[in-house]
Amino acid sequence: MSELEQNHIFETWLGHHKSLVFKVVRAYAVTAMDQDDLFQEIIIQVWHSVPTFRQQSSTTTWIYRIALNTALKWVSNERKHSKAQETLDNVQAILQETKVQIDERLTWLYEAIYKLDEIDRSITLLLLDGFSYKEMATIVGISESNVGVKINRIKKQLITKSKQQDHYGI
Amino acid sequence: MEFDEIQKIWDSQTHEPLWSINETALHKRILVKKEKVSHIANFSELLLLVVNIGAGSLTLGLNYFKPPTNLSLYLMSAWMLGTALYVLVSRIRRLKSSDTFDRSLLGELKQAMSMATYQVRLSQLMRWNIVPIGFLSLLGFWESGQSIWLSLGLLIFFGMTYFAGGWEHRIYQAKKRELEALLTKLEQK
Repeated sequence: MSELEQNHIFETWLGHHKSLVFKVVRAYAVTAMDQDDLFQEIIIQVWHSVPTFRQQSSTTTWIYRIALNTALKWVSNERKHSKAQETLDNVQAILQETKVQIDERLTWLYEAIYKLDEIDRSITLLLLDGFSYKEMATIVGISESNVGVKINRIKKQLITKSKQQDHYGI
Repeated sequence: MEFDEIQKIWDSQTHEPLWSINETALHKRILVKKEKVSHIANFSELLLLVVNIGAGSLTLGLNYFKPPTNLSLYLMSAWMLGTALYVLVSRIRRLKSSDTFDRSLLGELKQAMSMATYQVRLSQLMRWNIVPIGFLSLLGFWESGQSIWLSLGLLIFFGMTYFAGGWEHRIYQAKKRELEALLTKLEQK
């Protein structure tokens, strides 16, 4: 595959699936700098993955898988390595906030997801985005029954947290 | 709040994205990073190959062409070239095994674990490898009648290398422990 073709496919993917990447970034990184950094990592991995995509899964599943894999690895690296070595050239922000009205309940939900452990965060995103147990089992690499057990626990945790939030609770 | 309501909050996310992408900065970043995908293992292996083949060949050549020949230095050359061969075989095995993992989260974590285990083993082996090389170098110095100060300097150098090797080894061990913790979280019910 030529670099031109790779760039073309990548740009199409980015156009269609950037909101998916944003969700993963928001669930795994809190500060603007971290969000920018994680976004870059995911995007670079997606770019690299273009020639290896064999259309055995949908592009949504493929990109979700790459985004979650990258986020998991990023979380473990981020704890130890500061970004001090980045040059000024490289810290130019890639993500720029738009003037979208932010729903406070959604902000709460992202915070609640962020407080889950790294693995549960991945499963929660897949669950909320409507993936089936079978798809989740394939993406995560565990059995459907294990996915079911984890989802039950995650749902309970989220419901409990929502009840603790008087302000947002219904 | 029940889960259905949480789902409704999630689904209410506007189609208008929260961020816009600075395309110029992104492309610049991709260009900078796309060449940097080679893993630490790749770099360590190539460095070990170059150092061992280079130093082993140099010692062998000098010892052969500049008599009197020194048995310890021959042994050291053989040891270093043997080490390079071992690293090369390990590298080929590692590259072959990297295709056996699937692209699920579990598969990627297992691959990362396999890589971390490999790095821990390699760094440990290379650390202990300093002992025979140091010993043979000192023996070679003694055989060729070098001054005690030069031998002492060499001893300090190998001591420091051994210490630095331990520091590197602990970094890999910590990384492996983190991956183990993630893997346990993923596999446990």
